[in-house]
Amino acid sequence: MSEEEQAYEPKIVAFLCKWCSSAGSDLAGVSRIQYPANATPITVPCSGSISPLYILSAFNKGADGVLLSGCHIGDCHYIEGNYLARRKIYLIKELLEMVGVEPDRFRMSWVSAAEGAKYAQVVKDFVADLKPLGPQNKLKADRT
Amino acid sequence: MIDVQSIRDAARDLLAKGEVRAVIGYQRGSRGMLAEPVTITDPEQADELVWDATCFHNLALYLVEDRKALAHAQRTPNLPIAIVAKGCDARAIVVLMQEHYFKREDVYIIGVSCEGGGVLVEYKLARLLNGAQALSAVIDGAELVVTTLAGEVRLPASEVMADRCLECREPFPKEHNVVFGEDQTSRQLVAPFTALARFEALSEADRWAYWCRQFERCIRCFACRSVCPMCYCDECVVDSITFPVAPETTAEEKANRIRWIERSAVRSENITYHMTRAMHLAGRCIDCGECERVCPVNIPLRLLNNKMEREAREHFGYEPGASIGGPSLVASFRDDDPGQFIR
Ligand code: SF4
Ligand code: SF4
Ligand code: SF4
Ligand code: FES
Repeated sequence: MSEEEQAYEPKIVAFLCKWCSSAGSDLAGVSRIQYPANATPITVPCSGSISPLYILSAFNKGADGVLLSGCHIGDCHYIEGNYLARRKIYLIKELLEMVGVEPDRFRMSWVSAAEGAKYAQVVKDFVADLKPLGPQNKLKADRT
Repeated sequence: MIDVQSIRDAARDLLAKGEVRAVIGYQRGSRGMLAEPVTITDPEQADELVWDATCFHNLALYLVEDRKALAHAQRTPNLPIAIVAKGCDARAIVVLMQEHYFKREDVYIIGVSCEGGGVLVEYKLARLLNGAQALSAVIDGAELVVTTLAGEVRLPASEVMADRCLECREPFPKEHNVVFGEDQTSRQLVAPFTALARFEALSEADRWAYWCRQFERCIRCFACRSVCPMCYCDECVVDSITFPVAPETTAEEKANRIRWIERSAVRSENITYHMTRAMHLAGRCIDCGECERVCPVNIPLRLLNNKMEREAREHFGYEPGASIGGPSLVASFRDDDPGQFIR
C-alpha cells in the first residue's frame, strides 16, 4: 500500500439493522475490539426497509463506500425483510456495476447481535478494499 | 398482415352497441406519415383509426391519464374503455392491473399482433429512402411497404425496425378481449438483450465514460418519465415537492428538507435520477421503448431498463407483464435468490 493510500481515510455510510448489526456494532465497541473508525452508522428498522435511493443518496452526498448489514437469513425480526432486501440489493448492485461504479464501493453483510467480531472484520475488510480506490467522485453531487 | 378495416369495425361496433365509453387508438397524424394517439367516442369516427408501422406510442399511458381524470372528477364510469394494444402495450396494461391501477373489467383490449414486424425508426427509414418523402409505411410480412410520391418502395423490415422490436420477446398481445393478426411469439429476429450484452462487454472504465457522455447531455425535461405508463406516481420522489409547508415552517426547515437529489441537470443528479428510475421500473418496464424514443437528446435509456429486465429474468425467473395475479418482482422472493455477494 502506498503512503497516499495509507493516509486516505474512506468515508463509509453503514446502514445497520437495529435488531442485529446495530447491536453487533455496539458489542464490538463494548468488547473493545479495535477496528477502523471510518463507518458512520445509521440505524434502520430492518434491512428490508432500505430503499435503493438511500444507497444512491449516500453516494450522492459524498460516501466513498456504502455498507448495508442485516440479520442472517431466517433471523429477520419481520420474518422476510432480509429476503426482500437481498433481491432489491442484488438489483441495485448490478446497476451500480453496469454504470461503471467500482463493485467494491458497495457491500452487504449479515451480522447478528452476537457477532461483534464479525462486524469489526467486515468494516476492516471494507476499509482495506476502499483505500486503493481513492475518493468516490462518480456519484457525488456536483455543486459547482 | 392485419386489415385496418377489422380494427375500425371492432371499434365502431363497440361504440355503437354502447359496450365501451371510448376507444383509444391511432389516427393519421398531422406530420406526414406518422400516426398519433386519438380517443374516439363516436362510432362515426372509427374510420379515422389507422394501424401501421408508425404506431409507436404505448397507448396504455392514456389509460393512466383516464384513471387520473376520473379520480379527479370523482367519477366511477359504468362502462369500460377500449384500447388498441400491441404486444408491449398489452404487457404494460397487465402490469397496471397487477398493481391494481384498474381492474380487468375496466378495459377492453383490442389486441393487434406485430406478427413479423414492429414499429419503425424514422432515422433508419430516412437513410434508406435517400431523401424521398414517405407518405405511409406498413409492414407486410418481412417487408416494409413505403409509399412515396415516386411510388411504392419495399424494404427489408428488419433494417428499419426499432431495436426493441427486433429484440421483442412477445410481439403478440396475450392479454386481449379480441385480437387481430397471427401469434408469432417464437419469431427471433435478433436475440433478446443483444444491445445490452454488447454494452456489458466493455470495461468498467469504458462503461463509466460512456454513461458520463450520456448523462452530461440529459436536460432533465422528464419526457422519459411523462411518457412512461409505469411512471404514474402523482408525486415523484426526485421532485422533492412532498415536503409539507405550513405557515409556521421556517426558511431553514424548508432549506433543509430531504432532497434525495437536486433538480439541477448536472451529471451527478442526472445519473441518480436515472438509476432511481431504473430501480423503480425493475420488474415493471415492459420495454415499449417509449422513453428512449421521446428523449430529445438520444439517451440510450433502454440499456438501463433492459439490464433490470434481464437480471429479473435470469436470476429471479421473473417476466414483467406476464401475469395479472402474480406477485411483483420486488415484493416477492425465492429461497434460492442469489446471495453469494453478501458477506
Ligand atoms: S416491442 Fe414487440 S410488441 Fe412492441 S411494437 Fe415492437 S414488436 Fe410490437
Ligand atoms: S433522459 Fe432524455 S427524456 Fe429523460 S429527462 Fe433526460 S433529456 Fe429528458
Ligand atoms: S421505462 Fe421506457 S420502455 Fe419501460 S415501460 Fe416505461 S416508457 Fe416503456
Ligand atoms: S430485522 Fe434485521 S434484517 Fe429484518
